[in-house]
Amino acid sequence: MSEKRKYKKRFCKYCESKVDFMDYKEVGALRFSLSERYKIMPRRLTGNCKRHQDMITVVIKRARAAALVPYTVTRKQVITAPFENLR
Amino acid sequence: MRHYENLVIVKPTLTAEEIQNSINVIEEVIISNGGEIAARSAMGMRKLAYPINKSERGYFHVIYYSVAPSAISEIERRFRINEELLRFVTIKYDTNREIAAWEKMVEKALKGISKEPTAVEVAQAARASEEEE
Repeated sequence: MSEKRKYKKRFCKYCESKVDFMDYKEVGALRFSLSERYKIMPRRLTGNCKRHQDMITVVIKRARAAALVPYTVTRKQVITAPFENLR
Repeated sequence: MRHYENLVIVKPTLTAEEIQNSINVIEEVIISNGGEIAARSAMGMRKLAYPINKSERGYFHVIYYSVAPSAISEIERRFRINEELLRFVTIKYDTNREIAAWEKMVEKALKGISKEPTAVEVAQAARASEEEE
């Protein structure tokens, strides 16, 4: 094989724990699919399946509207408060 | 009748009684439009992820209710007029899976009420802990 696999083979963590429904109010559970700048992590990096990725994107966007998760994080905020309000 | 959930954020500048009053007003809006409130849970005073109308904090309150779908636009219109509300989020629970989750959350909220103190007490406790800091 000329192209070596760069990452370990990924699997969907939500499938493994059989998640059926996600609640946007449980912010701690969303952290897995958020980058440190609160961007939604792509499927190719987290290994989520399509079904659960669709679920998590909706839930994260709801949490953003409810001011539980920020939309954007500027450089200043990154330094002062990394994941502070997610606890 | 369809199942809904509303999260409302009340202004942090109000006193505990005023917050309780405005939450009563909000629930009155839902009831007067034919809604049946199943459960409510107070998330209490929280830091907002980003400032809304220059306030950094807000009092979060969640109401689970069922109402005819046509009444939602009127409820949201009344919420928009209310100046004590920083933000509201209305979630619809439509599919069977979502309704099951809604019922589970209602059960959880009802259990929490018997244990957790009321909104006034939560606000006072939060204020007391702040003063200690």
